[in-house]
Amino acid sequence: MGAPLLELDRVSKRFGSVVVAESLSLTVRTGDALGIVGPNGAGKSSLFSVISGDLAPNSGEVRFDGRPVNALGAAARCRLGIGRTYQVPRSFEHMTVFENVLVAAGRGGGLAGRPAAELAAAVLEQTGLRVEANRPAARLGLLQRKRLELARAIATRPRLLMLDEVAAGLTDPEVRQLIEVVNGVRREGVAVIWVEHVVRALVGVVDRLICLAGGRFIGDGSPAEVLASPEVKEVFLGTGYGVGDTPGGGAGR
Amino acid sequence: MQWVNAIVQGILLGGLYALFACGLSLMFGVMRVVNLAHGDFAVLAAYLALAVITGLHVPMLWSALIVAPLFAGLGYVVQRVIIQRSLDVSPVTTLLVTFGLSIVLQNGMLEAFSANSHSLPSGVLAAGSFRLSPQLSVGYLSLIVFAAAVALIAGLQLFLSRAPLGRRIRAAADDPEAAAIVGTDVRHVFGIAAAIAFATVALAGIAFGGYSSFDPAAGPQRLIFAFEAVVIGGIGSLWGTLLGGIILGVAQALGAQVDSGFGVLAGHLVFLAVLALRPSGLFRVRLT
Repeated sequence: MGAPLLELDRVSKRFGSVVVAESLSLTVRTGDALGIVGPNGAGKSSLFSVISGDLAPNSGEVRFDGRPVNALGAAARCRLGIGRTYQVPRSFEHMTVFENVLVAAGRGGGLAGRPAAELAAAVLEQTGLRVEANRPAARLGLLQRKRLELARAIATRPRLLMLDEVAAGLTDPEVRQLIEVVNGVRREGVAVIWVEHVVRALVGVVDRLICLAGGRFIGDGSPAEVLASPEVKEVFLGTGYGVGDTPGGGAGR
Repeated sequence: MQWVNAIVQGILLGGLYALFACGLSLMFGVMRVVNLAHGDFAVLAAYLALAVITGLHVPMLWSALIVAPLFAGLGYVVQRVIIQRSLDVSPVTTLLVTFGLSIVLQNGMLEAFSANSHSLPSGVLAAGSFRLSPQLSVGYLSLIVFAAAVALIAGLQLFLSRAPLGRRIRAAADDPEAAAIVGTDVRHVFGIAAAIAFATVALAGIAFGGYSSFDPAAGPQRLIFAFEAVVIGGIGSLWGTLLGGIILGVAQALGAQVDSGFGVLAGHLVFLAVLALRPSGLFRVRLT
C-alpha cells in the first residue's frame, strides 16, 4: 500500500439547502485507482471541485501529500500535483489543441521551452490528438474536446488525476482506447479518481469503487462488491435516492 | 493634394489613437474590464512625464523610459488591489469602480496640478518635419508615434501568440477557471496584462502631451477616441484596434478638410455607422 496522497477529513459542502457532501472522509493512496459512481446531482463533480480548489468546502479539511491545502487556490494545487478534467469540456477556445496542452505542460507541468513542447507532443500522441494539434479548439467536436480535456490534465504531470465522465458518449472501441490511456498514466505511478456513469469503462481501470448519493458515500470496496450491494442497486433504481437516511450510509471511512 | 495630405495626416493621427486604445483593447480582451479611467491615467502619465522632464532635464521621449515602467508597476497594483476585487463581485462592478477611479484621479490631479493646462516640451519633434513634396510634409513626432504604435501592437501580438506568458494570458482570457486548474495563477497573469496595458497608456499619454495641451479634466474626452478605435476595429483584436484608430484618424482629418469644425463629428459618424452596420467591428477574428 502506498502512502496517503489525498485525504478528505469530514468535508462538507452545501449550496443553500442542497447538500452535495456531508462529512465525507476518504483516503486515496499513491497508485490507487478509485472509481466513483452515483446518480446525477449526487455531488460527484462538486467533490472534485472541492479537491481541485474550484470550490471551498463549508467545513472539513482537504490534505494532499500530508499537507492541508484548503488555503491554496486551484493553480497552486495543480502545481502540487492535482490534475482534473471537467465534465463539460472547457478548452481554451481561441487557442490550438497543441497550445491548450502546452499551457498545461508549462505551468502545471513545471516545464518550459523545449521540454514543455515535447511533453505536449507526447501527450497529444498518447491521447490520439496528434492529427488535431494545429486545429483551433473551437472547431473540435465533443469527443475530441473530451480527449483534449484529458490531454490537458495529463500534461500538468499530476500525481493525482481526477477524471470527470470522460467516457460518456464513447463507442466501445473508443472506451477501450481510453482505458489504455488511463492505465498508461497509472503505470507511471499516478493515482486516479474516476467519476463515471459508464461502468464498463471504470471496471477496466479501477480496483476500488465508491458510490456517492445525497452527499454521502454508500458502499466502498471492490467494484464487484459495490455494484452487487443492495443499497447501491436501490440508489441506481432511483428508489432510495435523496432520502438521506439510507441505512448503513454515512461517512465512508 | 490637400486631400492626400489629409489622408496621410489622418493615418498618422490614427497611430496615436491606436497607441492610446490598445491598452483599453487589451484589458477588455483579457479581463473583460472596460477601464473608464483609461483616459485619466493617460493624463496622469503626461503630468508625471512633465515632472520628469522638468526635474531631470531630459528630452520628452526619454521621459517614457521612466514613466512607462512606473506605470507598468502601477497597473499591476491597480489590477490586483482594486480591479480584481471588483471582478470577483461582478463585471458591472468593474464599471462602477473604474468610473470611481476616474473621478478620484481627475480631482486628485486638480488638487495637485491645478486646472491650468500644460503641454510637454516636445521641442524640435513637434516643429520638425519631412517634406515629401511641396504640399505634403510629415511631422517627426507623428511619425515616431505612428511607428511606435505599429511596433507596439506587432510586438504585443507576437508576445501573446508565442511567449509562454502570453499564452497563459490568452488561456486566462478564454477561461480563467480552466487556466487555474492547469496551474496558471490567473490573478498574477491578469496583473501582468494590466501592467502591459498601463505601460502603453503611459506612452499614449506622453504622445498626447506632445501633440496638444492637457489638463486634469482632459481624460474622458480622449477616452471617447480610444473607445471608438476599439469598437470600429473589433473588440479585443489588437490589429483591429490599429485599423480602427487609423479609420478614426482619417475620418477626422477628412472631415476637418471639409470644414474645420466637422473633424471630430466625422469621426463620431463613422463610429456610429460601424456600430449600426457591423456591431462586432471590422476585424472579426479575436486575437487575444
